[in-house]
Amino acid sequence: MAEVRAEITANVWQVTAELGQLVGEGDEICILESMKMEIPVVTETPGVLAELHVAPGDVVQEGDLIAVIDES
Amino acid sequence: MTSTGGGDVHDWGPLVGDLAERRERALAMGGPDRVERQRSLGKLTVRERLDLLLDPGTWVEYGLLADHMDPGLGDRYLAADGAITGIGAIDGRPVAVAAYDFTVMAGSMGRVGEDKIARLRAHALSQRIPMVWLLDSAGARIQATSGSGFAGAGALFREQVAMSGVVPMVAAMLGHCAAGTAYIPALADFVPMVKGTSSMALGGRHLVKAAVGEDVTEEEMGGSAVHTTISGVADLEVADDRECLATVRRYLSFFPAHNRERPPVREAGAAGAPADPVDRRCEELYGIVPTAPRRAYDMRKVVTAVVDGGDVLWIKPGWAKNILTGLARVGGEPVGVVANQPMVLGGALDVNAADKAARFVWLCDAFNIPLVFLHDVPGFIVGSAVEKQGIIRHGAKMLFAVSEATVPKVSVVLRKSYGAGYFVMNGMAYEADYIVGWPTAEIAVMGPDGAVNIIHRKTLEAIPDEAERAQRRLELAEEIRAHIDPYVAAGHAQLDAVIDPADTRRAIAEGLRVARDKRVERPWRKHGVLPV
Repeated sequence: MAEVRAEITANVWQVTAELGQLVGEGDEICILESMKMEIPVVTETPGVLAELHVAPGDVVQEGDLIAVIDES
Repeated sequence: MTSTGGGDVHDWGPLVGDLAERRERALAMGGPDRVERQRSLGKLTVRERLDLLLDPGTWVEYGLLADHMDPGLGDRYLAADGAITGIGAIDGRPVAVAAYDFTVMAGSMGRVGEDKIARLRAHALSQRIPMVWLLDSAGARIQATSGSGFAGAGALFREQVAMSGVVPMVAAMLGHCAAGTAYIPALADFVPMVKGTSSMALGGRHLVKAAVGEDVTEEEMGGSAVHTTISGVADLEVADDRECLATVRRYLSFFPAHNRERPPVREAGAAGAPADPVDRRCEELYGIVPTAPRRAYDMRKVVTAVVDGGDVLWIKPGWAKNILTGLARVGGEPVGVVANQPMVLGGALDVNAADKAARFVWLCDAFNIPLVFLHDVPGFIVGSAVEKQGIIRHGAKMLFAVSEATVPKVSVVLRKSYGAGYFVMNGMAYEADYIVGWPTAEIAVMGPDGAVNIIHRKTLEAIPDEAERAQRRLELAEEIRAHIDPYVAAGHAQLDAVIDPADTRRAIAEGLRVARDKRVERPWRKHGVLPV
């Protein structure tokens, strides 16, 4: 299991991946909005999107858990 | 043999033979078992490393026949006292090298070996040539220095500080280094680390276990992953010894021998460098950079598109990835590139980005390497988290470095460049020698989406309906955006030109050409008081 965490305090603007989806290295999970910029959140680990902890409109703090990838 | 009547007085054979044996013994390093052990760890021997680092036939060694000379160590023989020193050439230019030999008492720092290295430092400084350390050393030879003899030690670091910014200094991490040999890289300019076999830490694992009770491996504590992605102490992770030594050669190719020389120019068509005309159009930039201001893209592609042959040596690429720093060439002349990376944190600056950029600017300025800034920055990150990290102090450090730099400084504003982010990226007021913008350039104290909430806060609060308020906010933001326009800045002559993005390479080359003989005089001072 690999965790994907927020790197910055931000609003969740869009969630672009779906639970259960197969994702590859560098694939986008969601897009944050902070500092007036769209900040894509990508996974560095390929696998299945096993958990998704954010929804559009949420506020995340730096270090908050966004998703969990099951690489098995 | 000539006899003079009183026996053989020209009996050189045994003497030369004895010398040859002594040399051979020294070149055998720590002996076959320890050499085999070194290889089994995936490391090259110190002699193989020197062969890879230097031009063939250029090595002049100092102190091959040195030994520990320590009565406490008895008859034990320590080849070269575990520290190989000498002067060789890289690309035909002399370089002083100090290489620790791990096969000799774990490369520990003995008195004689350190005397040898001190002599090399003095040579590097008086001859004004770069100094390279090949580090594979357990640190101080505790057996020899555990007593109060330590009280006079430490000159190596002070001398290294005196060399900083006078001659280039490289510390290649080729083994597990603790304490003394971890401070050498800390004071050097460039620190590549071999993945898996190198580490640096103030205390080795046994000391750490004893002192703080933590049970960690060298790799966990100070391996390349830690220092190139988390701490930022090292500059680059490399796969093995070979890549590490090739990287040292490549790094030094950008640098002059010392701070009163210009960096070496690579002539067009030189070996390995295909001619790349400075007026080459870069139309691929249209496809790389979105005109939509909030949309991210990979700035690395912009940098490789505009520099000679797409060739960049990225410095600290794995740490503070929201800013890019790299050495490259434009028209054959070395440049230091500082570029915001919208892919990471939207390109916003945080404490580590400011720290990384400030150090890189100081490095380039010290050695007369012109700076090229590529702006796409929404500003410094704001909020309580970054204030606790000291963002003001770190931001001031970047401001300080860019203000101090007297090398030619060229800026290209690709899209947004807001607030102090614009200043620290070499805005016009920072003695930018040439500053140009793309038609998408937005230079302002802050972006329209932020400014609208401040300028029109009361107007917006007075609108009770949420949808209507959002709509009005957008309209007012557009009104502000109309004033944030490169042609307004160009109209005030605060941008030297607005350029077609495809002409970015040409604009950079022109800016560097006109500023080539720039001179800046500053009032005398011992040194500024640095915000660090």
